[in-house]
Amino acid sequence: MSAPAENIPVIEVTDLVREFHGRRVLNGISFKVMKGDTMIIMGGSGCGKSTLLRHVIGSMKPTSGSIKLFGEEITGLDEAGLARIRRRFGMLFQSGALLQSMTVGENVALPIVEHSKLDPGIVDLMVKLKLEMVGLTGFEHLKPAEISGGMKKRVGLARALALDPELLFSDEPTAGLDPIMVSVVDILTKDMTRKLGVTAVVVTHDMTSAFRIGSRMIMLGTGPNQGKIIATGTPEEIRASANGEVQQFINGEPDGPVPLKLSKDDYVTRLLGHPRLKNNAFT
Amino acid sequence: MKSYLTLNGQILYWTLLAPFRGQPFKIGEVFRQMVAIGVRALPMAALTSFSIGLTMAMQGAGALRKMGGLSYVPDLVTLSLLRELGPLIVAVIVIGRSGSAVTAELGTMKVSEEIEALEVMAINPIRFLVVPRFLAMMIMLPVLTVFGDWMGMVGGWSVCHFALDFETAAYIHRSVTRAETWDLLSGLIKSVVFAWLIITIACHKGLAVEGGAEGVGQATTDSVVWSLLIMLIANAILTGFFFFS
Repeated sequence: MSAPAENIPVIEVTDLVREFHGRRVLNGISFKVMKGDTMIIMGGSGCGKSTLLRHVIGSMKPTSGSIKLFGEEITGLDEAGLARIRRRFGMLFQSGALLQSMTVGENVALPIVEHSKLDPGIVDLMVKLKLEMVGLTGFEHLKPAEISGGMKKRVGLARALALDPELLFSDEPTAGLDPIMVSVVDILTKDMTRKLGVTAVVVTHDMTSAFRIGSRMIMLGTGPNQGKIIATGTPEEIRASANGEVQQFINGEPDGPVPLKLSKDDYVTRLLGHPRLKNNAFT
Repeated sequence: MKSYLTLNGQILYWTLLAPFRGQPFKIGEVFRQMVAIGVRALPMAALTSFSIGLTMAMQGAGALRKMGGLSYVPDLVTLSLLRELGPLIVAVIVIGRSGSAVTAELGTMKVSEEIEALEVMAINPIRFLVVPRFLAMMIMLPVLTVFGDWMGMVGGWSVCHFALDFETAAYIHRSVTRAETWDLLSGLIKSVVFAWLIITIACHKGLAVEGGAEGVGQATTDSVVWSLLIMLIANAILTGFFFFS
């Protein structure tokens, strides 16, 4: 007998490995996201968190490992199968990724028009509702080039939510927003997950926002721990983590397990291509 | 090469089969692209064809006069325009103006994540972006070619009429009686083949862009160079096939 629907994870990633030209960017990642959770993926620049997200949404294929969305394996799916899964989730890109040739309103309407046969009047109404939600009433007729970066991101969010998805992915949703808009986007995400039961996966390095909305967190490591999960748990568990790298990251300290500067010897070795010789004329 | 052939297959699928499986392309977008790719290229195609017709009439007159065959100028102008120069000149203009624009636009969309965003929204970029451009090109290049043929003949006429004292009626009569339907048709078949090559190369180069603004620039150059090269080779092959075998 299959498990009741409530207990099936919305996302289940197992032993995900991805190599680019022999370099392991993701190294055996496993995690689950349950319905209604807000999963925060954090980590320093270049730790592979955007790459991880791109695998989960099916844009990239892993070297090995398994990714299940809504209980269905997506790594081997053909285009039609992937399209069927993708209709159930929304994605907010880091840049917003709005179509420059269309107006703001047309961008938000795009998924609705493409995937439903609704009357244009109703589509119009839905677009207005979604734009109002992100505080952009009356911006329908502007082109993406005519609005600010933060506004583009909010339009991107409105578009991601256009079809009322069960699952929302956000890549750096708050980067480039002012503090007021950050809390607006946070509250929006929180409302969706707590009130509507939407599941959210948020890639971010904004710690205030992460602890405000996250119900589960994972942190990816850098350096020797590249592409591995070094910490996982609830926000409280992460805050109490004994891992130095985690503490350095959430407290934003410049130096720690992730070094600010190389040691003097390492520095010289990198510069010269060999360690400094003891009896060298320069010493 | 493999990805180019795959693209051709995908275009055929999304143009011919998918609309009957409930996944139609946007007709409105086809018309929008017809304006962008075809209508906006009209002034330049007209001017170049006119000047080519003009030049050819002048050169032809110089050579034919020595043989006492001045009355053959309209034949020369009309036949070379219909069979060769009309389709060729218009294709060159469209490559430089519209093919490059398609590559640059798709390339920019690729680097700014717009194409990935479409895919993630379960909107197929071939259906949404490529098919309208493909159809617009397949329709507009032959149309522009007919127009270019006509403008070239007007160019030839203006030399004959104003410098060589031809009667307008005589010029038209000579052109029309000398040219056969096949002459026009062969040129149009060529322009259909050119349209296919230009738009598939332009879309392929655009969708393959990697790495920012520099990649877009490189792809646009590649698109123009390859389109010209392949188009000229195809032209030689088709001429050999139509008139030399």
